[in-house]
Amino acid sequence: MSDRVYQVTISSAERTVVSIDNFAVPQNKITFLFGESGIGKSMISKAVYGLLDPDALDIAINGRSYADHLKQSRTQEIQKNSFFVFQEPSSHLNNLMTIDRQITEGSLQLAKDDSDILNHLWKDIDEQAVRTLFEIYPKPYRPSGGEKQRILLLMAFKKINVLLNSFGAEAPTYFVFDEPTGSLDDNFRNLFLHLLFTKYVQRPFTIMIITHDYSIISEVYKKYANLLDSIRFRELSRLKSGAVELHDFSPDEYLGWLQKTAFKGGAVARQEKVLEVEADFKIFNRSLCIYREREHRQKTNLVIHKGEMVYLKAPSGVGKTTLAKLVMGLFRPQKFEMQLAGTRITEKTHKSVWHKKVWGKKAGMVFQHADESLNLQATVKEVFDGLPLKSRLRSAVLKQKLGELFEGEIADAFISKKVAFLSGGQKQRLNLLRTLVMNTDLIILDEPLNGLDFLSITKVMEKLEERRRQGSALLLISHNEEIFDTILDKEHIYYLAECTMELPADRQS
Amino acid sequence: MKLIRHKDKAWMGIWLAVMAGVGVWDVLFLNKPALKQVVAGFLNTFVISLLVVIITLACGWLVTICLYYLEARRNKTGYLLLTFLLNLIRSIPQIVGILFGYILVAYLTGKGTLQSPTLVFPLMAAIVSLFIFIELVDLMRERIEYYKRLDFYSAMLVCGIPESRIINFDILWKNSRLHIFNKLISVFGISVFLQCSVDFIISVGLSTGVSSVNLPLTLGSLLAKIDSKQDILAIGHTLTHPSYFPNLFFGHLQGVTVAFLIVFTLMCIYHISNGYAERHRL
Repeated sequence: MSDRVYQVTISSAERTVVSIDNFAVPQNKITFLFGESGIGKSMISKAVYGLLDPDALDIAINGRSYADHLKQSRTQEIQKNSFFVFQEPSSHLNNLMTIDRQITEGSLQLAKDDSDILNHLWKDIDEQAVRTLFEIYPKPYRPSGGEKQRILLLMAFKKINVLLNSFGAEAPTYFVFDEPTGSLDDNFRNLFLHLLFTKYVQRPFTIMIITHDYSIISEVYKKYANLLDSIRFRELSRLKSGAVELHDFSPDEYLGWLQKTAFKGGAVARQEKVLEVEADFKIFNRSLCIYREREHRQKTNLVIHKGEMVYLKAPSGVGKTTLAKLVMGLFRPQKFEMQLAGTRITEKTHKSVWHKKVWGKKAGMVFQHADESLNLQATVKEVFDGLPLKSRLRSAVLKQKLGELFEGEIADAFISKKVAFLSGGQKQRLNLLRTLVMNTDLIILDEPLNGLDFLSITKVMEKLEERRRQGSALLLISHNEEIFDTILDKEHIYYLAECTMELPADRQS
Repeated sequence: MKLIRHKDKAWMGIWLAVMAGVGVWDVLFLNKPALKQVVAGFLNTFVISLLVVIITLACGWLVTICLYYLEARRNKTGYLLLTFLLNLIRSIPQIVGILFGYILVAYLTGKGTLQSPTLVFPLMAAIVSLFIFIELVDLMRERIEYYKRLDFYSAMLVCGIPESRIINFDILWKNSRLHIFNKLISVFGISVFLQCSVDFIISVGLSTGVSSVNLPLTLGSLLAKIDSKQDILAIGHTLTHPSYFPNLFFGHLQGVTVAFLIVFTLMCIYHISNGYAERHRL
């Protein structure tokens, strides 16, 4: 079967939200869709699937009104046969229904046996224990982000089981997985891929996986080379006209970059220490420990020297961001000790110390979600106003700094643009740049590659390497394990875990 | 079409157009001395309400910042004292507080202590503001609390951006000014309503020592005048004598105009505020 091409235009009362002429959906193939955050990947996919509100937006698909698109028998069949896994697991689940009821709602109840899916997605946990989790109402704190994500995947796989058992090969399908592994570590991501490809082999159906995780390419090439004929890697990028274009993304581009980029993390012994965090600390009644080995054998202090890049690893929810916020004095620990550029800080240290000596002086931090960390109502220029710089950034200097992470010439209109009107990827680059323009000894980066397209990832990594060479100490927290595992050598990787926890045997390799 | 979608702008247009229409009608059919009084009452009410808005904004912002720093610096005594004072003011019904304040102003004016209208106007506005500005403080504190819970606040703090800039510029100015402006629209409406009510109460006669003559003429005091009262009674008369209705717009114009200005303005402010909130999705 060939590609089904959609021409999609979505406008609000004020502006064109997204416009694309060539959104191709290869039928009964697996498409990995990349592109920077906010470019329109989710919105276009939702429009094609028929999930947008026709009254809220002005939508046209292939020249037809959205109301006509929704009435088409093909759209209705797709909705009947397929499933859409939303990016944000919390917004997908209904807080007023138990999970148990939600996973058996509507056509999902036709999939009687879900044990194979459960045992696969929750590989380390007993099936009965997982089923107990389903008896609760989703709350902000339980299930965790990773658990919620797997619950959504469970629903999608149940729908796939229904498809495999009930529908013929000709039934049109369009399974969309919007950032299906955003809250999962590589181990669970790989389990998801394995199950998906196993089902696909049984009966090919149309799959669209929207992701920022370029390392998924390596996994596909490593383990599913036999399926490469059925797999497409595509990327959305913005044209100068403001419209969006879909083009093939060459996996070699990513794999080649990964091979030739090796920062090694910098020299250690000759330089002075910038940060040393004691190996164990306690916060929110949890004791957390830092290790050098993946197997969590020997506790060790986290040490970062000048000109060194260190990567802190742990599964989602263990406390990587918590540790970063502890170093920055944003949480009050029960037990904690560190040396930061010559200043000893413990759990008893008064907050004013960070105010006077640390923030913007000895250390700066880039937060995980650019949308939440930036003032969306401010202009690009105002983002840099108020920073503790020696002199205020003049427009020319600011443009030059922005040019390091943004493409093309920076126009006056861009620096006076409201942050809210930037794409997700642009916001993330701005978020990074705000901290990188300061000359701090330590820079903590929490998910610095979040929401970036491949070109931006390479630019950001070059910029980080430049800062490292200039003598800054960098502490990285990221889900992009493959990138940092490859470009940094082992002595620059630390692991964080509960002090009592040992890594399961099957994940030690 | 855009005007219809933007209800606030539409209602603002309606209010201006109707005010202009009423003005033209009154110029044509209301006698000169009465017209002069209506215009003075209308302007005085609106000038005082504008002053109320300005004083409320200044006091609200100042007290919000004071409370924020007292809390952040853990100055328990100062924080408790200020919140106690605010709660004390909050416990007094607005209309009662303003009534007593106006009685004081009228008394002082009658005694000759307060002579200049440049002093009386701001003083009256300050009295109204005293019992309204807490609403603005509550709103601004809620906004600060909301943003403090987000990474937004911490992310700026760790970049070394001064706390005063984050609170005043990033949170209150950049992210809350629409909310604040919307609140100020309703403050304007509350002020018109409270002034009219209190002026009316004072004007109908509280005691021999306190007379509305001592206070600037407003729509409320104008409504309490004997001419206006008769005009209002005439409205009731039309209920049983419908043929009398056309006379309201010629023979009873002063009272009808004042009553209409008050009611119609309050209704428009209500719609403008709602429309503004809708347009900006507040």
